[in-house]
Order: sequence, then structure tokens, then C-alpha cells
Amino acid sequence: MASNADQFKQSFREEAREILVDLEAALLELNENAGDRELVGRVFRGLHTIKGSGAMFGFEDLATFTHNLETAFDEVRNGRLEINSELIDLTLAALDQIRAMLEEGAGGAVPADAAACAEILTKVRRLTGATASEPAGDKAVPKTAATAGPVREWSIRFAPGPDLMLNGTSPLMLLRELRQLGGLSVKASMAAVPPLAELDPERCYVAWEMVLATAVGRDAIRDVFIFVEDHCELSIELAAGSGVDPAANAAVADATARGLEEPRAQGGGRRTYDKPDNATSLRVPAAKLDQFVDLVGELVTVQARLSELAARRDDPEIAEVSEEIERLTSSLRENSMNIRMLPIRATFEKFRRLVHDLARDLGKDVELTIEGADTELDKTVIDQLSDPLMHLIRNSMDHGIEPRDRRAARGKRPTATIHLLARHSGASVLIGVSDDGAGIDAEAVRSRAVEKGLVAADAQLTESETFALLFQPGFSTAKQVTDVSGRGVGMDVVRQRVDSLRGTIDVASIPGTGTSVTLRLPLTLAIIDGLLVSVGDACFVLPLANTLECIELTRADVERANGKHVANVRGVIVPYIRLREHFNIRTPLPEIEQIMLVETEGGRYGFVVDRVLGDCQTVIKNLGRFYRHVQVVSGATILGNGTVALILDPERLAADAVRLGRQGLRGHAAGYQAVGAASRLGPGGKRESSQTNAA
Amino acid sequence: MGMTLTENEALSAIGLEETVDISSAAELKALLVKSLSAGKGVRISLEGAAYLDVTAIQLLWAAEREARGAGVGFVLEGPIPERISAALLDAGFDKFPITECAK
Repeated sequence: MASNADQFKQSFREEAREILVDLEAALLELNENAGDRELVGRVFRGLHTIKGSGAMFGFEDLATFTHNLETAFDEVRNGRLEINSELIDLTLAALDQIRAMLEEGAGGAVPADAAACAEILTKVRRLTGATASEPAGDKAVPKTAATAGPVREWSIRFAPGPDLMLNGTSPLMLLRELRQLGGLSVKASMAAVPPLAELDPERCYVAWEMVLATAVGRDAIRDVFIFVEDHCELSIELAAGSGVDPAANAAVADATARGLEEPRAQGGGRRTYDKPDNATSLRVPAAKLDQFVDLVGELVTVQARLSELAARRDDPEIAEVSEEIERLTSSLRENSMNIRMLPIRATFEKFRRLVHDLARDLGKDVELTIEGADTELDKTVIDQLSDPLMHLIRNSMDHGIEPRDRRAARGKRPTATIHLLARHSGASVLIGVSDDGAGIDAEAVRSRAVEKGLVAADAQLTESETFALLFQPGFSTAKQVTDVSGRGVGMDVVRQRVDSLRGTIDVASIPGTGTSVTLRLPLTLAIIDGLLVSVGDACFVLPLANTLECIELTRADVERANGKHVANVRGVIVPYIRLREHFNIRTPLPEIEQIMLVETEGGRYGFVVDRVLGDCQTVIKNLGRFYRHVQVVSGATILGNGTVALILDPERLAADAVRLGRQGLRGHAAGYQAVGAASRLGPGGKRESSQTNAA
Repeated sequence: MGMTLTENEALSAIGLEETVDISSAAELKALLVKSLSAGKGVRISLEGAAYLDVTAIQLLWAAEREARGAGVGFVLEGPIPERISAALLDAGFDKFPITECAK
């Protein structure tokens, strides 16, 4: 079991990682808006928090290193240093080192580079006018501001809240930091310490009354408490008899910092720790969440068995309990799924740094625009999106976006754009990466594919099929391999990762105008609402989010359509796909079949089944390697009676039916025999059929 | 970090060693409660202690107050290490909550 110290360190790491992401975003914004004082304040506060917390949790090197950056941004916010691209780049490079220091001891792959750190510090000190011989750590360095302006006395009262020490904060460290701002007299008050028996040993009952003689303003003093101010009572007032009119004094002394600090200074500089919005969020290890969702999945499966049993027994009392449990399970499932849903913002935002660095390295002007950052999707999907997005962006930056002179020659805006988009579409989420670059030369792709023997020289390929070649292993049209891309590895990684997420990739490109790559991914990888249907003795699940309605298909309807697979739905002709033909299921045809109308990206389609059995909560199980080539199935689920039902992917099923129809192969795809066989698996996965043809 | 408890008929002796902080506060409270409830005098030794945090100080302060109220002896054995007394003064504690034992 981890010790308290280890737990605090881990908490600090997690918090610092989030702060680093925010810092990176703020720095990149600052690069575009150098005069934005709020951004300067955000960077300063982030660095200050990392430094202060770092020192407290034993990351001394990290704290000392960060102190120098904090000093630089203190100079910026006090108007003594200008923001420029050198400071931004140095700070970004420093963040990489801080990140490495943070992960040291936590199994980090890349340790901090001491030489790079030293170089960064030398350059930062040159910018701030400090010398290398100046001590860097908090222990010896009073804040720069402490030496400027008239010295005033401040009365400070600091009462830690109940949980301040539990999150690893040491009040004594804060006092030590305060002492660096000037002369400090401290008196500890023990008035709140209860009798020994009632005393919670992990809570701080001591409060401090202090008088600080310093030249810094109220906000600089508040900065010392910046990362505990929501966990304490704090008041900072000019001391009576300090000889200066408090209002005027504060106004003058804090003039330079006012723009940054005003929102926090409101309310007389007093904060209480018992705000109603405290403890509105909770940090939970991802593994615990995964375990929770797994258990909910098991519960859903057992509940399905109970429902089946209740239906079979025809006992009203069991049926009532079963329905109640079904309702509760459904709520629990929805809630657990919601807990896993995260906005994609953080994933998108971290690419600002990649675009910034690559643009600098490639000598291109590129801006990253983001749309739909609040779109939520399953944590597991988000975790696996970073790599594919990184490869797509690198590819766009290197191959898609033209050099400045070529853009100018084509009359394009000098600054190119990479646009990241996320939006929901039914049970899927669409993630788009588009650029306004040169577009893809489809003929070059085709020639290269022929050259590599991937397609026959006389093959007739649609544009979509041609672009799909880009995702073949080792495929690249780049004439030279660069540090960024050109080895033909990245796009293969994209395809593999998207496949593993049961997603699809769509590429659209207009020569000279740009390229757009859209990843369609399932919203969740765990549990979905489904509609259970049967064809012969096989059961299938259609995702409920895609289905629109169910209509009957009689033999007379079929005859009226002259053998064409279309239905007339209130005057609208809708093509349909007979699952029994598609999956080669040879059982007697019922008199009346059912058409499930489904909305897909390619339009509205009908899926013809024998019976609609009803809706069901579907715990998605992976089919494993044996069925990995069967693209029309996105997984399997275990029904209440223990049998297996395949979960169909309507998008791919429709696309596949269109392709087979075009090739005249509808209903005779040998590969789908495997699907028919799998959908007839008995309890425990035992086959009831002898059809075992693999796809 | 660490602490020891030695008892005889008349006295409980608690030795504090190395760092005594929030991670050992519950243990320290248990020792203090046990010693005081026995109604015997309590001696605290800081000779092996390197650092006391606020949780340790407030526990000792509360125990001393309780002992005084009950008329039980609660004293420090030996001198307060310089590193600890300096840190306590910096933190605004005018004096250590326990008086030194007369030699």
C-alpha cells in the first residue's frame, strides 16, 4: 500500500500534469496575443502553483527550476519584461523538462535533460537580467517585487481549513514562503484546538496572526496562498497605523498587477474554505472507474437473464421485481457511462503545441482551429485518439500544407489552417482533421499503389478506394523521408487504431484546396441500447440510436417491387438489405417480415429481419481475432438465455451491401457464413451449427 | 519517522524520532491518550526527532493542557533540539508546549 507521502506525490503529479496542459495552451495563446495580461497572470499562477506544490511534495529540483520561469513571468506581469517568441519557446521547452522531472520516479520514459535545463535557465536569466550566480531557489530568493516601492505593514490571518493538511499542504511551508517577502512576525493561535479525545489528528486547528513588512502588494501576498485559498480562511489587510491610506495605498501599489488580480481581490481579500462549490468534483483513479463499469456490464447481463426467467415463469411477482431491477440497472448503466464520458477538449488542445513546434521546424505559418471541443466521448476512446490525431496532423503539416512561397503563388492566405472538429452523429462521434493545403493527388496515389503492387494497373478505383490506399502499411507518396513524416508508417497506425476502436476513416480531398480526414468512432466501447432482432434461429442487435422505425414487408410488397430490394415508405423509396441473404441464412421465410429503418451516413436503409424481439441493454464483448475481418459486426453480446447475438454495424453493413450489389455478389459472400455461424453460438460459446468457415 | 512507548508503574515515556508529521499523527494521538488515561506521569523525548509538523505540535499542546487539568505530570525529557525550537519559533509558537523536566 502506498504511503501518505507517495499518495501526495501522486496527487501532485496528477494536478501538475493538468496545470502543464493549461500552461501550454496559455503560452501558445500568449504567442498570438502578447499583450493579454490575463494570460500572463494565468501562466504566472500555473508556474507558481507547480513551484510551490512541488517544493512541498519533495520535488525540490523541479521547484527550483520552475522558480526561474516564475520570476520571468513575474517580471512580465510587472511590466519589466516583454513577451516575445523566445521567452515563449524557452518556457515551452522548460515545460517539457518539468514534465520529465515530474515523471521521474513514476516510471517516466524520458528523464529530464540536465544540459537542456541549464541552457534554458541561462537563456531565461539573460532575458530577465538575473545572473547565474544568483541563488535560484525559494529558500534564498526574495521575490523581485519585495525590493520595490515603499514598505508597508500587512496584517494577515491564516486559518487552514479541515482538509488543508489532508491534501499534503504544510502550513509551515507557506509561512516560510511568506517570510521571503519581507520581515514577518508570527503568532500561532491555539484557541481552536479541542480536547485531546475530540482532536482529529490529521486536521490543523492552529491559526496564525501575522504582520508582514513588505513592499509588495496584497496580490503578491495572496499568491503565496494561491493553491490553498479554497481550503483556508485568509484575510490580508493593511495594518492599522501603517501610515498610508489603505485604499489609496492599495490602488497605487498594486497598479501594475491590478489587471491580473482584480477578480481574486474582490471581497476584501477574504476567502473562506466552506464555499458551496467546494468538493463538487472528485478525482478517481481510471482503473477504479473501469472496474466499476465492468461490474455494471456484468449486472446488465445478469439482469437480462432475470428478465428472461421472469418472462418464462409467467409469475407477476417475479416480473414486477424484474422490471424494477431492469429500470434501476438501466439508470445505473446510463450513469456509469456518463461518468466515463469526457470532453475531447484536452486532447485537441494539446495539439496546439505540436502545430506550433512543427510550424517552426518546417518554416510554415499554420494556425490550429478547434470546433466542438466540448463533445464528449468515452474515456477509452479518447485515450486512444491521441496517436492517430498526431499522425494525421503531422502528415497535414508536412505534406498537405504548402510552403509559404507556393501558397503565395496560388493566391492563398499565407497562414495555413488545420481544423480539428468533433461532433456527435447518432451512436457515433465524428472526429475531423482538415487542412487548406494542396490536397491529395489521387493519380499519384494510384501510380504509387500500382508501383508497389497493391493494385493492378488496370484496376478501376473510386476516389474513396484510392484514398484508402494511403492507410496501407508502408505506403507513402512522399519523395523524401523527413523527420516529420514520409515513411508511410503514420497512416497505417491511424488505420490500425481506428480499426481497434471499431471506427471508420473517410478521406475527402480537393486538389489545391485541401484535405479532410474524418474518423467515425463509436461513442462508447462498453454498453449500448440495442434492438434485438432475429433471422431464422440467429439473433442480432441493431444499435437503437441508428434505428428509426419498423414496418412490415409482405410477400405481396416484394412481388410489387419486381424483385428490387426497395420499399415504399409513405411515398419515399428506401432500399433494403435482407439479412438472411446477406448472411446466407437458409431457414423457412416467414409470411411477413419486418423492415428496420436505419439512418446511416450514406442515407436511409432498411434491414429486413424475421422478427423484432424488443429493445435490450447490450454489453459489448469483443469477438476476438477469429472474426476481426468481419467488418459489418461491431461485437457480440450475451443474451439473457445465455446465447450470443452479434451487434451489427449499420454503417458498414449498408456500405458493404452497396459494394456487393455493385459486384453482383449480394447474398453469396462466403465470408458471411462465419457471421451466420457465430450468431448461432449456443450458451457458453458452443456451436450449434457445423458452419465454421472463417471470414 | 517513529515513536516508542516505554511504561513503568509511575511513568509513560514516549520517544519521538525523525520526522513526526501527519502520517504518524494518529499513532501519536493513540499513545498520548493511552498514557494519560493510565493516570501516570508522561515524559516526552525529542532527542531523536528531526522535525515536528503542526499536527504533532497541536497534539502535544492538547495533551499537556489535559495533563495539567488532571494534575498529571507532562514534561519533556532532555533539551529541545535546536533544529526543532528554531522551526517552532519561525512558525509562531513562542515556546514549546511542554516544559523541560528539571534535572
